[in-house]
Amino acid sequence: MSERFAAAVGRKLVSRASAEELGALTHIVADVSRNKVASLVMGKGRKAVLVDWDQVSGFGPDAVMVADENALYAPRDDRESAAADGKLDLIGQRVLSDMGESLGEASDIVFDPASGVLETLVIGEREVPATSILGAGSYAVVVKAPAE
Amino acid sequence: MRLLVTGSAIRGLPVVTIHGGEDVAEIRDLIYNPEAGRVVGLTLNKRGFLSGRRREVLPAETIHAIGRDAVMVENEDSLTLPQDAPDEVGTSSERDVLGNEVLTEQGKSLGKVKDVVVLAGSAGEVVGYEIETESGGTGYIPLPTQLAVSGSALVVPDPTQDFVEADLVGLGAAVDEFRSRLGMK
Repeated sequence: MSERFAAAVGRKLVSRASAEELGALTHIVADVSRNKVASLVMGKGRKAVLVDWDQVSGFGPDAVMVADENALYAPRDDRESAAADGKLDLIGQRVLSDMGESLGEASDIVFDPASGVLETLVIGEREVPATSILGAGSYAVVVKAPAE
Repeated sequence: MRLLVTGSAIRGLPVVTIHGGEDVAEIRDLIYNPEAGRVVGLTLNKRGFLSGRRREVLPAETIHAIGRDAVMVENEDSLTLPQDAPDEVGTSSERDVLGNEVLTEQGKSLGKVKDVVVLAGSAGEVVGYEIETESGGTGYIPLPTQLAVSGSALVVPDPTQDFVEADLVGLGAAVDEFRSRLGMK
């Protein structure tokens, strides 16, 4: 079963240790160099906190289970602050091919909830395999030019 | 069918790093070598309004692709200080073809050069010119890979006159046929 970033946002995060609801998922941070989900963001603004993917014990259809409350941490540097603010979100980002052609805007990402591995980048009507992502930054997500 | 982009459309394009996804500069101008039929480098502005010129240039060999929406480079190290760039990047800017008359081998004038047309996705292969035709309109002509350039006029093969296209799409469709008629690849 695959999951989608856009559908997963808003899902509750629950501590596996205490069964307490911790908050709602606001952003998913991807590490495109490893082609994997890097961390999740819970909450907004100054209350936003992160949890690393390896602390997520189950990404289920109704709740995202994290080890315990101690797995949550406030942003520690500029990059984590940007991530907590959603500034590193791939969704909504401009997509360029390595040939310098705009392909549109990233609308969703399909991933494997068991491993966190990214599967597909959705660009409107078009889908490209996540393995074709070459880089991502503040200006664009760059993908290998699709074959004609 | 080839995707093409004019020199004026390249000016102002962002320079984007493939592995970083960052816009590190934008294109100020093209450094063109008409004899070689290619862009040998690009000069740069800082990104954003009123931010001025950057000293660094992009030599052609550091360009991954010139596209219609961005110029792609591997990473920020592609931005090269002028003294570290190949000599032709510094010397080619003098040989400007804009305004030159385009003459066929038979001596027929097709018009004056307004702009260069670059193959999108290449590192700066110039495949044609935008010209102002004798009647004052705009046309696009394909180019062979080599041609004679004097500084005021350039001489193109006679078949060129059969390939004066009204737009870039027409030129994109004509380039390969033109070149195969001339016996080029």
